[in-house]
Amino acid sequence: MTTSLNDLLLNDRGFAFDPTGGETYQLSATGLRIVRLLQQDTNEENILTHMMEEYEVDKNTAQRDLRSFLQSIESLGWK
Amino acid sequence: MSAPRIAVSGLHRGENPQPGAGIMRSVRRRWPDAFIVGLAYDAHESGIYADDGPDAAFVMPYPKAGAKPFLSRLDEVMERAPFDLFIPTLDAEIELLVHLEKELAQRRILTCLPDREMLHRRSKDKLSALAKQCNVQVPETVAVADLGGALAAAAKLEFPLVVKGQYYDAKLVHSYNELSSAASQILAQWGAPLILQRCIIGPEFNALGIGDGKGGILGLCSIRKTIVSDKGKGLGGMTIKDAKLNELCANLISELCWRGPFEIEVMKDEESGEHVLIEINPRFPAWVDFASMIGANFPAAVIEMMQNGKTDPLPNCDAGHFYLRHQVEVLGHVNQLSALSADGGVMLQQTKN
Repeated sequence: MTTSLNDLLLNDRGFAFDPTGGETYQLSATGLRIVRLLQQDTNEENILTHMMEEYEVDKNTAQRDLRSFLQSIESLGWK
Repeated sequence: MSAPRIAVSGLHRGENPQPGAGIMRSVRRRWPDAFIVGLAYDAHESGIYADDGPDAAFVMPYPKAGAKPFLSRLDEVMERAPFDLFIPTLDAEIELLVHLEKELAQRRILTCLPDREMLHRRSKDKLSALAKQCNVQVPETVAVADLGGALAAAAKLEFPLVVKGQYYDAKLVHSYNELSSAASQILAQWGAPLILQRCIIGPEFNALGIGDGKGGILGLCSIRKTIVSDKGKGLGGMTIKDAKLNELCANLISELCWRGPFEIEVMKDEESGEHVLIEINPRFPAWVDFASMIGANFPAAVIEMMQNGKTDPLPNCDAGHFYLRHQVEVLGHVNQLSALSADGGVMLQQTKN
């Protein structure tokens, strides 16, 4: 069962509803930012740049956090 | 269209709610002055006494008593509170009524029901064959006639497994002791066959719809059960939009050429990630009025089908609406109980005022 990221119902507080599975989630502020960027077709490299600039973290930390988050949403079937 | 005069059964809304009360609410959403006759099997069915309940209520003989007493009682009800449409909601009732097409027509009672073949092809003991034809997965299922057969089947299926009656009841069992107790209880209450099913672990989804009798669907409302009682009843549900589930429903209804209301119960197997068909119910579910609240009034559509032979397709139910089951007290008076018990029926408009 997969859900297109563009079909997710999101609000600005990170509350997310997956209309295919009927489940609700609470995203962190960073998670919400990443999902919004993915919805705009931003590639991984550009998302990393955003994260380093906006959260003032080094590339390794940003990369580790981003990969972990991408694995989580992949396991949920969000594409 | 003038307000319908309609009979509805399955009026209880307790721990294991029946669909009738939800149907009555939906009918009144469209036709506030509809005349509704409640057909009950017990004077304590709570929907009889609801403010938006029936205008008249009558106690019926159990369908298993056979066609003759059922029809004879319908005639008595028709004399006291005439109606021309009937939405039955209990599986055992529908099993009887599909054999009475001619008799109902003679009484000018319109229904919207499947025929015998459609009904039997989706019965619990034949579901696997239907699913195979539609390329739909079902849990491994065995139908047995007695306790000995159930114990032998359990050795093959392994625990935990689900034990079901042909029409009603489903119990999850984890051991031979639990199986013996559940099987004896279901056999005593509902008779054979007993259905044993491998237990599927995962979220539950239900789809409510109406088949047009030609293979098409006139509307579909799919939910994920978000709160499930210890008896497996959905105390909460959320509308979803799942193309795969819609396709599964369309394939089954097309294969059956289903006519009338249905509820398809599916689980998503956590292991395989696939939808697994659990049951096809030949009636509206208890949560039918939830769909009416979000703009898809299925009971009203069935009434239009009965009256005009057709209805416009129902609007889609957008994902993200949810319901929560909310129990309330309803008020009755001993005079009403007395009328139902002693006279077999009560005109509630008179006793409520």
